[in-house]
Amino acid sequence: MTANAMSLTAYDLWKQYDHAAVVQGISFTLQPGEILGLLGPNGAGKTTTVGMLFGTVIPTKGFVKFGPWQLPAQGQMARAQMGIVTQEDNLDPDFTVFNNLTHFAHHFRITGKAARERAGELLALVNLEEKAKAQVDDLSGGMKRRLVLARALLNKPQIVFLDEPTTGLDPDARQDFWRLVLHLKDSGCGILLTTHYMDEAQRLCDRILLLQQGKVIDEGPPADLVTRVIGHEVAEVEGVDDAILKHLADRYSTWHRNFGSGHLITLPDDPSDELWTTIESYHPRRLLRRQANLEDVFLRLTGSVLE
Amino acid sequence: MKLITATPWGVYTVWWRHFQVYRSTWLVSMLPPLSEPLVYLLAFGYGLTPLVGEVEYLGQSVSYARFIAPGMIAVGVLFQSFFEGAYGSFIRLNFQKTWQALLTAPLSFTDVFLGDWLWATTKGTIAGVLTGLVAVLANLYALQHLILSLPLIVLGSLLFGAFGLLVTGVVRKVDQVNVPIFLAIIPMFTLCGTYFPRSTLPPLLGAFAGILPLASLVDLLRWPLGLPQWWPLLLLWLVGWTVLLARLAAMRIYPRLFS
Repeated sequence: MTANAMSLTAYDLWKQYDHAAVVQGISFTLQPGEILGLLGPNGAGKTTTVGMLFGTVIPTKGFVKFGPWQLPAQGQMARAQMGIVTQEDNLDPDFTVFNNLTHFAHHFRITGKAARERAGELLALVNLEEKAKAQVDDLSGGMKRRLVLARALLNKPQIVFLDEPTTGLDPDARQDFWRLVLHLKDSGCGILLTTHYMDEAQRLCDRILLLQQGKVIDEGPPADLVTRVIGHEVAEVEGVDDAILKHLADRYSTWHRNFGSGHLITLPDDPSDELWTTIESYHPRRLLRRQANLEDVFLRLTGSVLE
Repeated sequence: MKLITATPWGVYTVWWRHFQVYRSTWLVSMLPPLSEPLVYLLAFGYGLTPLVGEVEYLGQSVSYARFIAPGMIAVGVLFQSFFEGAYGSFIRLNFQKTWQALLTAPLSFTDVFLGDWLWATTKGTIAGVLTGLVAVLANLYALQHLILSLPLIVLGSLLFGAFGLLVTGVVRKVDQVNVPIFLAIIPMFTLCGTYFPRSTLPPLLGAFAGILPLASLVDLLRWPLGLPQWWPLLLLWLVGWTVLLARLAAMRIYPRLFS
């Protein structure tokens, strides 16, 4: 996978449907061995962007370069080096687990013994060997997602698109899937991951593009983003008057806003911990001190939470 | 809509995928095209022949059973290719999302479309040939005539397969497939000269039935009994319908996959 590793670059992608601009000027490069996350709420334009990257959504403006190919015009050829896990499970219910792989391998010109061997390897990789003869409908949601991933790897792709791959999975199944994604990254594969789970993005991604209403509102490595936009720690406060917290935020040059049934306020890197002590002195109904995260970043940049 | 060049391998692998599904249920799949003509033969051939005796066709008297045999071949082609194009492709596009999955492989829209169309054609051809073999066994159609009719069976299957795919591209709910069945398939099945000469219909109705594509296919498949003077036009008429329906089907399905 690493011998002739290819990068993918999106150049000023726009997508307009009727009068709605769903994607507005997104540009980025995905390098081999990198996990790049598109993080945003539902309707941010993540899936539309992924569609433009592999050629089923035609950009209103802009284009994609992947190795020697330019998309959408050469999408068919580019897809020979891509692995695609779409949001919907589109496994073939007419075939067994094993035959889902061997039959799909034909489309990549992998046939006969080579197809059977590759299917066996991939079923071992995604831990579905025991389900080889099962029908797809008999698999759990997590197993189906792993099988879709295995199918996307049949051609040993240079790049893999994972479009909200763990939506609807239980925590164990998500952990299993994450392990596979990290294994792929270690093998040198470039991965583009869309998600609205900030823990998933924080855990897996080397770099994140934060999307809102089709625009990139910020980008960077998750830890850097959090530190730059929020800082290191935040306090969740309930039962203290809004005007008091606003006054404190101004006084300590931090940021605060309504959050759930209370407030969120960033804590400055202050060894004396003066702000925290001051908030405590107001005897809030609930007070929680925690590490800042991407959710806070998104809240600060957009005024809304990820859903 | 931009039609990207199809590759023979791409088209073949899509067709092969459908064939593998068919192969896994071949016994069930083969039953309707075999049982249908047998039932029609028994019902119409043995049931009606004693009542009807002989019919006039192109100025000659032929036995009723011999008259309806080519009609049964055409009906087999119509039903199997249309239903595969309409229901089979509709399910693969809207429920199983097979089309969408195939487009994550290095296949073009044209590869997937042609693969599905050729599969509908294959099913129509299988039905036409099986029906023809039943007619051959019943001594109603000669084997050499069936072999020579094979290009017509394929052409008819292409035509009605394309019609089925157009329905897939137009309807949004599976129940809506019933609309073209009642408006087009049943009128063709009953009026196009499959079970009686169209000359017995009132002139206006006969003219209407005559322009429906199944009428041309039936007339051409009846070539061992004689051909109408204008038969090359009938052939062109079928080719024209096929090209038009396939083009319209592709135009309707493409936006469902590419936006």
